[in-house]
Amino acid sequence: MKKENKIKSIIQAILTDLLFWIYIFGCISFLINHWFEKTIPSNFVVIFGIAVGLITFILGLSVGRKVFFPTIRTDKKWHKSFWGWSVFFILLITFVVGWNLVEVDLYKLFTKFRNAGGILSGIFDPNLNILTLCLTALAETIYLALLATVFAIPLAFSLSFFAARNLMPRTFIGNTVYIIVRTIATIFRSIEAIVWAIIFSVWVGIGPFAGMLALMIHSVASLTKLYSEQIENIDPGPVEAIKATGASTLQTWLFAVVPQIISPYLAFTIYRWDINVRMATIVGFVGGGGIGLLLLQQQQLLRWQNVGVIIWLIAIVVWTMDMVSAKVREKLQEM
Amino acid sequence: MKSIIELKNLHKVYATGTHALKGIDLEVKEGEFCILLGLSGSGKSTLLRCLNRLIEPTSGEIHIDGEDVIAAKGQKLRFIRRKIAMIFQQFNLIKNLSSLTNVLTGKLGYSTLIHSLTFPQHKNDVKIALENLRRVGLKEFANKKTRNLSGGQQQRVAIARALMQDPKIILADEPVASLDPATADSVMRYLGELNKKDNMTVICSLHFLSLARKYGTRVVALKDGKIVFDGTPEEIDEKKFKEIYGEDAEEVEIR
Ligand SMILES: Nc1ncnc2c1ncn2[C@@H]1O[C@H](COP(=O)(O)OP(=O)(O)OP(=O)(O)O)[C@@H](O)[C@H]1O
Ligand SMILES: [Mg+2]
Repeated sequence: MKKENKIKSIIQAILTDLLFWIYIFGCISFLINHWFEKTIPSNFVVIFGIAVGLITFILGLSVGRKVFFPTIRTDKKWHKSFWGWSVFFILLITFVVGWNLVEVDLYKLFTKFRNAGGILSGIFDPNLNILTLCLTALAETIYLALLATVFAIPLAFSLSFFAARNLMPRTFIGNTVYIIVRTIATIFRSIEAIVWAIIFSVWVGIGPFAGMLALMIHSVASLTKLYSEQIENIDPGPVEAIKATGASTLQTWLFAVVPQIISPYLAFTIYRWDINVRMATIVGFVGGGGIGLLLLQQQQLLRWQNVGVIIWLIAIVVWTMDMVSAKVREKLQEM
Repeated sequence: MKSIIELKNLHKVYATGTHALKGIDLEVKEGEFCILLGLSGSGKSTLLRCLNRLIEPTSGEIHIDGEDVIAAKGQKLRFIRRKIAMIFQQFNLIKNLSSLTNVLTGKLGYSTLIHSLTFPQHKNDVKIALENLRRVGLKEFANKKTRNLSGGQQQRVAIARALMQDPKIILADEPVASLDPATADSVMRYLGELNKKDNMTVICSLHFLSLARKYGTRVVALKDGKIVFDGTPEEIDEKKFKEIYGEDAEEVEIR
């Protein structure tokens, strides 16, 4: 092993050990706090973790060594070695802490079933008198998902060419454009549609328009990524051939790239509409209008029979969209 | 006869560090049918792609039909490229478009964007495209998607596309390597005809000596990025062959 690599591995090993022990003492301190209501100061946890980590590392009882020096083989079975027991212990304590944090309560799960009786009876006895109201809200949801998808298509389509590595020349401008488009798309995609809905419901007010904008932004970002990956997977041969005829860059994209991506693009887009219809419901909960908003209102009023109607309608729409989109995508595959 | 392609000290070093062309000097005369021979990896494809700048050469000079190819940019480079048609081993057609549309793409170098988007409306272009398809014996396949054509038919569509450019030069990179011997010969016959009847200069890389002897007027052999032989096909005897392909090579003839 090279000397720099060795030093790097040692540092990584020590850091692993320190984090390992700080985490273990953190968990222990949480449990003591939880069960005995005694607070252990956090700097104490950190100092203790570092101290134990350093000592065990020096003594050679180290998990980090095992990870970063895989060449050091010991014939010991895991249950006879220090690192084996450490890993076992850390998994165990993580599980115990998780159980307590999530407040898992099997007693409630099995004995309080009757509390949900209202919802269940609502589902089997829906109040069909409010059907018109629900259908109006449902139409809002479907159309907002449709508009979000339709508006997203041209934007994502254009952007995807600039986010495709194989189309952007490896010049300064090419690289810059590629990196900027990719980064923005990644950031926007990693922000959930719900968060966008909260932002837009403040911006343009609660209602379907806010929901539409939220889904559109999210769709542009994720379609740009899917589309551009599709471009990166095209056969480069036709691009070469079209370039060689003396075609301009735009002509090359239109004649060699577009025909190769059009059918996967359609498939992705329909799939996206499908996702958008589902998300439109959720987005409604946080101010995006439509059936989601209605569901939230009826649930807060404890009108379980109304909630029942809404649940049925959502299920039917999601199920239909699922079938239609699967069928269309199947047809596209054959093209 | 006047020379149409002139290369001086052409080098290509790939980003990976591979030195694929090591100082190529070559002059090709108008009307020649020049066969490029050489082992896999000897630099044949690289050389052909440098000629129309599908690959950027690292250094050296390229003059084609009196124009400085290396200095050309934008519009100028497009105009040089449209005089040089290219045929590929994998045909490189756009598979889910019709033969006719594929042939029409050969006109892209002569068309504005608007014009190229409305190709089917331009009767004259369509007429020439159909005429070129007829020439390669595929007129009745005009509206068929090229993915449904056989390899030999696809290569003939590619030739029709090349004709659409009205080229002075045809670069062919192993045009028959994925075809069976009989089909290979029929495709080579079309290239031979373009060379003789239409006086197009052809540079064609091949792996079969038999085809080289039959169609070539000149053979240039590459080895490890350098020219190791330049002469007539008849001059390649057992000894020359071993120089090009290495001591262990056997001459495999396919008729
Ligand atoms: N895009 C590339 N990047 C890096 N190296 C490459 C690239 N293309 C080709 N090479 C290398 O350049 C050398 C010449 O390759 P080239 O494709 O020109 O050979 P060839 O004579 O056409 O071979 P073949 O008969 O297999 O087609 C090879 O060593 C190859 O590995
Ligand atoms: Mg090659």
